[in-house]
Amino acid sequence: MDVFADIFGDFWDPKKRIFFGYLFLSLVIGAVWLVAVKHKTLRASLAQIFDRRVFLSSSAKADYKIFVINRFFTLFISPLLITQLSIATAVFYFLLSVDWLQSGVFSDAPIAMIVTLFTCAMFIFDDFTKFLLHRWMHRWPLLWAIHKVHHSAETMTPITVYRVHPLEGVLYGLRSVFVQGTVLSVFFFFFGNAVDLITIVGVNAAVFVFHVTGSNLRHSHIDIHYWPWLERLLISPAQHQLHHSTAVEHYDKNFGVALAVWDWLFGSLHLSEKDRTLAFGLPPEEASADALLDIYLRPFRDMAAVIRRRLRRLQRALNRQNKTLKEN
Amino acid sequence: MRSIKLHTTALALIAMTATGAAAADVYGPFPVTLKGYEGEKTNSVSYSGQIARHALHDSLKKAAALGNGGANAAEVEALMLSYFNGSDADLDILAPKSKDGFPIKQTTVNAISKGKNISGKFYKGAMPAWPGNGTGKDAVMHMIKMAAKADKGFDAENGYDWGQVISKFTMGAMMYNQSVDNYLDEKLAADNKPNDKPYKDGAYYTGKEHSWDEGFGYWGAPAHAMSLTPQQAYAIAKGKDLAAADANGDGMVDLKTEYVFGPAYYAAGADKGGTKSTNYMHTIMQAFIDGRQVIADAKGEALSDEARAQLKAHAATIESNWEKVLAEAAFKYAGSVYKDINKMAEAEGEEKAKAYRAYVKHWGELKGFAMALQSGRNNLGATAVELNNLVGFGPVTMDNSYVTGIDADGNFVRDRRMTWNDYQLNMLKTQELLKGKFGLKSLANDQLAQLEGLADKMKAEASAETD
Repeated sequence: MDVFADIFGDFWDPKKRIFFGYLFLSLVIGAVWLVAVKHKTLRASLAQIFDRRVFLSSSAKADYKIFVINRFFTLFISPLLITQLSIATAVFYFLLSVDWLQSGVFSDAPIAMIVTLFTCAMFIFDDFTKFLLHRWMHRWPLLWAIHKVHHSAETMTPITVYRVHPLEGVLYGLRSVFVQGTVLSVFFFFFGNAVDLITIVGVNAAVFVFHVTGSNLRHSHIDIHYWPWLERLLISPAQHQLHHSTAVEHYDKNFGVALAVWDWLFGSLHLSEKDRTLAFGLPPEEASADALLDIYLRPFRDMAAVIRRRLRRLQRALNRQNKTLKEN
Repeated sequence: MRSIKLHTTALALIAMTATGAAAADVYGPFPVTLKGYEGEKTNSVSYSGQIARHALHDSLKKAAALGNGGANAAEVEALMLSYFNGSDADLDILAPKSKDGFPIKQTTVNAISKGKNISGKFYKGAMPAWPGNGTGKDAVMHMIKMAAKADKGFDAENGYDWGQVISKFTMGAMMYNQSVDNYLDEKLAADNKPNDKPYKDGAYYTGKEHSWDEGFGYWGAPAHAMSLTPQQAYAIAKGKDLAAADANGDGMVDLKTEYVFGPAYYAAGADKGGTKSTNYMHTIMQAFIDGRQVIADAKGEALSDEARAQLKAHAATIESNWEKVLAEAAFKYAGSVYKDINKMAEAEGEEKAKAYRAYVKHWGELKGFAMALQSGRNNLGATAVELNNLVGFGPVTMDNSYVTGIDADGNFVRDRRMTWNDYQLNMLKTQELLKGKFGLKSLANDQLAQLEGLADKMKAEASAETD
């Protein structure tokens, strides 16, 4: 029973995206979208949402298996990672050691303001660093070798969010700890003990809003898009689906999670395209959609290949330099 | 089957009542067990000498605030020394004193016990926490001299509140040290103050009975402490709640058995504040009572090895919890000092001076307790060195200088400066050190608690969720 709870606990944890309440709301939003915007019958809408070809595809089945397998990795790896508290304490000590900074300078600010500022800052920095790391995952070959696992999905379900290599989980976990530890200590240093997080069901209120407005539809085949002006501020499900598209013009677009402004600023924003059918996945020579051993091991082979290539290039450069030195 | 069950239940009940009868919840009276005693005494408990020393200590603290900045220094020093060294005259108890609705039975020290002093029982080991490379006693003598010259016990220039430093240091250097390093240590040995002989010629109590009583007396709790909540004990020490203090119902507080003195007061304070997850006062009190029962049960015979082992186990409980109480207090005041620095930064003019006064007071308590911790049975080694480095000989003062030592005449030298931020950092590290080394739980004024709480709150959110 404990093992079961350890593995499937995320479904009833409101801090997680696949909490059953959020999944249910996503279902409602998807159905309302299909009925009201796409003018389908409710029956047809539900049939489309629960499409067997999506949920029972070999790619989706691999997602489910990865979901379970990764839980074991998480159980063993996460206790080894550094905690927010150690980072927060270190940063706090550092700030105190800076002579020209005075702790508690803003501690007289109204509590409501401090708490709102902190909650927003936490959400914004969290979202921005997710964007940055995601961008690097695509731009740097060494990281792309890991991130390919996620992009090898040929059909997308809410569980696809768990389709990541354990190394990617580690990187995202470290990012989260780093951001939270830093923001936390900086706020404590300047605003004092009134700092607190506005939470709903134990989760940052802004993150809660993100989840109840259909965050699960990002990994789905329901292509809800927003008005173009809104898609410049918030990433719509259709925009994220476009991020997974196999079309060349969609490569390296829409790295954002909740906010679209980062993509907009960094020039990688792509608005959704109405009524365009997207294909997802990667060519077989890049990654497999359903072979588990390949999914878990190929990233290591690919990373080794990247490193070998770099070393050969370095060797050639050194050789060239030696040659020029000798000739001179 | 059923009858077996019934039997076991009955046995369990008998066992429970038996232990219930044996475990008293009041420290005394315990019977006179001395073999061959033919006097009229029926209660062998006696620790009035320790209570007299508590009164001397409280009065010494009060006297430390009587200086007027130098003019009456000789007079104040003489008064302080009379409490420290004891006096042929019957000294007035300067504290604790009767208050409206809280009458105290004794008004002079001799009314408690005659011929007592602090100096003879003061820690004489090395005390590197104080400048001058002297013993604990050298340190307190220096403090007394300085206090007499100060204005109402406050030295703004060097950052000392003498009443606080002297008093908190004494709680370790006399009470804690005498109890855990003397009476509950070597006096528990088989051949030292044996139980089959009187404590001294003519005494009506045995060697072990009185040794244990003296250890208890220094702890400073009333005999009925087990029936008091930490809140009540705290109130009694503040001269409130006569009903809780007056165990015998005579309408007065008898300092000998009904009052709460320093060490017990700080145990109650730790239990009542912070995380409210500790039970230091009752734990220590119960160990004293249980230990006394072990001795009474020996009925005047020499203690068996088993009985002495039990006694030592109780002594170990007392020592470790008492040490924690001192460390909890130091922890709390390190937090106060940290907060006071923030307050000073925000305040201006008179408010700033007031904030500085509070800061120096809290620092004095921190320093005193830090020194008290170093006056126990064990050498704290590197922990003491680190603690002394973090806290310093004196706090950072208004011009950012702080005491680094004393000159040949015993005057303070302040030839280093430190920023307020750095000193705040020292306070955080002090809390971290104390928390880690002594396994503290009450953690009042924990300056990183909020940070820890929030980090904990967000832990579950630390998502590896990617897209």
